[in-house]
Parts: sequence; C-alpha cells; structure tokens
Amino acid sequence: MPETTFRGWMGDARARWAASPSWAKTVALFALLAVVPFIPMFDEPWLRVFFLVGLYVMLGLGLNVVVGFAGLLDLGYVAFFAVGAYTLAILSSASSPLDVYLNFWLVLPLGMVAGACAGLLLGLPVLPLRGDYLAIVTLGFGEIVRILLVNMDNITAGAQGISAISTPDVVLRDIDDPTSWYYFIVIAAAIVAFVTTRLRDSRVGRAWEAIREDEDVAAGMGINTVKYKLMAFSMGAAIGAVGGVLYASQYSFVNPSAFTLQVSVNVLALVIIGGMGSTTGIVFGSFILVGLPDILQFRQTGDLLGNFEFIRSAVNGVIDGLDALLPWGIGGLPPSDTWGEELADKRFIIYGALLVAIMVLRPAGLFPSKRRELEFENPADADAPLRAGAV
Amino acid sequence: MTILFATSTSFWVDQFVNGLTTGSLYALIALGYTMVYGVLQMINFAHGEVFMLGSFAGYGAMAAMGGSELDGAMIAVSILVALLAAMTASAATSVALERFAYRPLRNAPRLAPLISAIGASIFLQYLVLDRTSSEAKFYPNVFPDGSFGVEPFEIEYIQAFLIGSSLLMMVFLYLIIQKTKMGRAIRAVAESPSNASLMGVDVNRTIVNVFILGAAMAGVAGVLHGLFFQTIRGSMGFLPGIKAFTAAVLGGIGSVPGAVAGGFFLGMTETVGRELLNTIPGVDLPNQWRDVIAFSLLVLVLLFRPTGIFGEKVAKRA
Repeated sequence: MPETTFRGWMGDARARWAASPSWAKTVALFALLAVVPFIPMFDEPWLRVFFLVGLYVMLGLGLNVVVGFAGLLDLGYVAFFAVGAYTLAILSSASSPLDVYLNFWLVLPLGMVAGACAGLLLGLPVLPLRGDYLAIVTLGFGEIVRILLVNMDNITAGAQGISAISTPDVVLRDIDDPTSWYYFIVIAAAIVAFVTTRLRDSRVGRAWEAIREDEDVAAGMGINTVKYKLMAFSMGAAIGAVGGVLYASQYSFVNPSAFTLQVSVNVLALVIIGGMGSTTGIVFGSFILVGLPDILQFRQTGDLLGNFEFIRSAVNGVIDGLDALLPWGIGGLPPSDTWGEELADKRFIIYGALLVAIMVLRPAGLFPSKRRELEFENPADADAPLRAGAV
Repeated sequence: MTILFATSTSFWVDQFVNGLTTGSLYALIALGYTMVYGVLQMINFAHGEVFMLGSFAGYGAMAAMGGSELDGAMIAVSILVALLAAMTASAATSVALERFAYRPLRNAPRLAPLISAIGASIFLQYLVLDRTSSEAKFYPNVFPDGSFGVEPFEIEYIQAFLIGSSLLMMVFLYLIIQKTKMGRAIRAVAESPSNASLMGVDVNRTIVNVFILGAAMAGVAGVLHGLFFQTIRGSMGFLPGIKAFTAAVLGGIGSVPGAVAGGFFLGMTETVGRELLNTIPGVDLPNQWRDVIAFSLLVLVLLFRPTGIFGEKVAKRA
C-alpha cells in the first residue's frame, strides 16, 4: 500500500484498526470517551449536549432491536420513553400527585418492567400486522399515551408536569453535575450496546432476523413468531423506558409536551440514516440529528463563524450589485457569527430536507451494515420494480 | 339518561351533522392516501402537509380578492377561486414530492420512502411555520350564517356546503376512476405495474396523475376546513393527516369507496360515538379523547378485520 498519499495512510490506519482485537478497540474507544470532560473546550453546555446525544444513542439502540433486528416498524417509540420518565417522576418526586418517594435505583428496574409491559401491551394487538399498518397503529399508540399523560392529571399532574425528580447516587457521590451525567450516560449506552449486540448474535437474534426476512418461512422453520415478536417489542420498550428514567432524572422535570411524535421520528430517523443495524451509524446519526442543532447555538460556534465575515461581505457585495439591477431588493446575509443561531432557528426545515436528501442519495443509510449493503446490490425483488422489498 | 334524550333531539342532530362534517374532511384527505397506497404501497406521510398548503393557498386567494370586504356574488366567486388555487397548489406540491422524494426510492426498501416522506412532511410544515412566524391565519368570515331545515332537524349553511361539495368531489373522482381512460390506467397500475406497462400504460405518468388527483381532493378539503374552522396554521396538517390515514385503513387501504366509508365512520365515531359514551353514567370524556377513540377504533378494527371494512387482503403484504 503506498504510504505517500493521505488517502493511502488513512486506508492503512483503517486496516490496522479493523485488524486489532475487539477488546483493544473497546479500550481505545472508552479511553477516548473518558478524557472528553478534561478537554477545556468541552464545558458544561457541551457535556449536556453529549448527554442528550448519548441518551438518543441508547434510544436508537433500543429501537434498533424492534426495527433493525426484528423488522417491526415502530413509530410510537416515544410511548416507552414516556412510560420510563413518568415512572420515575411519579414514584420519586415530592411534587407528583402520588405520595411515594422511592430511590432512583429502586425505580430503574420498575421503569424497565413498566416499559416492557407497555411493549407487550402494544405488541399483543398488533401481532398480525405488518409494515405500514404497524407504523400507523404504533404512531396512534404514542399519541394515545401522550393524551393520557395530559388527561390523567390525578396521577401525572397533567400539562403542568412533575418537577424535583430524584437523581441517582453512585457509591461516593450524587450524579447531579454535567460531568457525572456524561460518564453515566456513556456507561449506560455502552451497556445497552453490549446487550443488544450480544442479543443480535444469539439464538434470539437469529430468530428475529429470520422473522424480518420472511415471517412465514420463519414460522415454517419452527420459530415461535409470536414469542419472538413480543420479545422484540418488550426488549426495545424496556430500553426506551430506561432512557426515559435517565432523561427524567437528569432534567428533573417532565411534562407531556416533551413526549411528542417528534421524539419517535428523531429516534427512527437516526437509526435509519445512520444505516440500520450499525452502532456506529446510530452514534453518528445521533450526533447529526440531536447534537448538531444545539452545538450550532453555542457561543463558540458563533466565535468560530465570526472568522468567516469575509464570506458575508463577498456575498453581500454580489447581492448589492444585483440590487442595483433588480427592481426589488434581496436581503443580505446577517453577520456571520449569528449564522449558527439562524441555522438552529431553521433546524426543522433543514432536518426535513436532510432526511429526504440522505434517503434519496443513500437509501441504505450512511453506514449500512455489511449485510444490508449486500441486500442492496442484489435486490431480491427485481421483477416487480414498483413494489418495495421487505422492511 | 331519559332526561338527556328527551330534551336534546337537536343536540344529537347537531352531533350527527358534526360527525358528517369532520367525516367528509377525513374522507377527502383519505382518498389521497388510499390511491397512492393503491399504486405504490407506500404511506404518503406528507399528504397532511399537502392539505395544509392547499388551505393556505385558498386563504391567499381569498385574501387577495378582498378578504372580509367581499359581498354578494363575489363571495361565491372567491370561494371558487380559492378552491381552484388550493387544488393547483396542492397538486404542484404533490407532484414535486413524488418527483424528488419518492420516485428515486421506488426500488429501495420500504423504510426509505417512509423516512423520506416523513422528512418532506417536516420540511413543508416548518417551512410554512417559518414563513408565517408560527402564527395562525384566519379565513375571512364571509360565508352566510344561519341554518335551514325543520326544527329540530336543522343544518347550518356552511356545513351543508361542506358536506355537499365533498360528496360532489367524491362522485367526480369516482367517475374519473371508473369512466375515463386515465382512470382505467390507474386501476391497471394498481393491479400490477409491470403488466400495465406491458399493455402500453405509461406507469410514471399514471403515478403522477394519482398524486395530482389525491392532492386536488386534499386541497379542496383544505379550503373547506378553512371556511368552516376559520383558523389555519402551519401545523394543522398533522392530525387530520394521521386521522385520514386511519380512515383509509379502516375502510381498507387501496379501496376508494373504502376511504370514503372509513372517513365518515371515523368522523361519526369521534363525535356521536364520544357523546354516546358520555351518556353512560360516570363517564365524562372531554373533547381531546376523540383522538384516543379514533386510534383505539383503528386497533380494534385491525384486530377483528385486518383488511379494513372494504379492503382486499393487503394487510399481510409485508
């Protein structure tokens, strides 16, 4: 391999990385993540963004069990997130209508169980449904949960929400500052990543894969499809609920407006644009869709963009020239240090356009798993050009 | 309960008419979903936004013609212009969606067009919210007030107009699909795109036609919605869109009469059904619960009749 070009050097490094044993990769990754809070640039706002990114990585990994592994399209994932968040809020906060104050660590498993039960509750009626029908029913389920949160105010405090939610204590210290929360979410996400990868490579994972590829054949091969589909729903839901517990604890406040369809769409989108089934993809997708809009609003981003004032003067010069020719005026660009905020203001417009663009340009996602890449090169359904393939 | 029934025949008539009103809006929007699903087997998630843009185009047309200053025959003319503007705007949006967001993904796995559609929906919704500074717009209140009929069987003019014109549009669409050459091509493509193409049908052209027809219905629904509820905003497309899709599924997705039946069924259940539940002692469901009712109904119907009321066997299609 030629070492002279940058590309060659990159390829070399990549090959060495790919060849190193998996424990070494894990250690390297964790070492990298562990030093992040010590880098002076990453102050508290950054760590809060990283927390959010980590949280969405967790949610993405959980949803990936349902959508990626088992091929069940779920647009109501926010419901489980909400169940977890409200379990902690109701059972631990003094401002909740219920007179119970439990420790965080006690509620965490309860939240998981509640989430898994909600998963079963959703899974049971939708067992016979596939594809788009499933999408719309799960979407409805998410909306129902949100409406229930607003209207069952004798338990959930309705629209005003619940505050002062308990935080976890780990051996020596309370987890209440951004640095501790950062480490906490990194560890939590790592555990979830470990569990889901092990699941994927297990007998259960293979059963899910078989169901995803062809449910009827899977059933014919003796796979109990009911059992495994319910397992996928409740597993994904339990992970979502844990995410909800952590979210409620970190923000110390929940109200129904935080649990809209937007959350479900965000999680599904980051799983898919990252490339379904790949953990790298989920991390990347989470950064782009969840982290970037916040980072754009940071002062540092403004300072950085402030260096690009020359672009503004150049563009505005052109616009001034055009203004002289045209009967109507074109507004110029705002000062370059406000570009980040402007972009953040329009983030949903950009977000929507980005989803379309990524799907159109890379329908398999940005970092597709090897397997899916192969599927794309050999579409099984080439005879029916209009009929889309399996999920 | 007896008191409730004795004193309120007109109350129930009102609820019935309200059910027909929301039902006809759902039905109009559901037609677009069901037709697109019929030919492409995809949820056109941005269809709610097509409806919203139609509503805004109609508002723009009416405002440009004088808004609340209008009187006499000009009211009728302005409503007609608004309907045409809405149909045009919706159709143009829909064609652009098909061309740029859906067509490149026809051979992609099913999730890709769905995500693309969700992205397009978010894009359009926030674009309008941004342009309107998230503020509501108000349709000019020019439609004549009042009602006709024999007490207690009365119906407001606006509701009669809304229901009547919706039915007219549905009949119109039905005739196009059943009686014209374009309609025959649509039915052929829905049956089998490859066979239709072998028979000389221009499949791409037909798919565009389907999007145009569905969008025109949604545009009409947008104007009717604006005339009736008056308040319109950038986020207005989401719920009616989801509900209309629910209606399409209830009726059996892919089926045109099914979408209409599903729309009216859903509208009725939400209004009359909720009030009927409220007559049970101890039950008092406020208005927000109609969404819960709608989605629970969807789950129930899919449980016992997964193909919808009129549907062919498509629910099992992966």
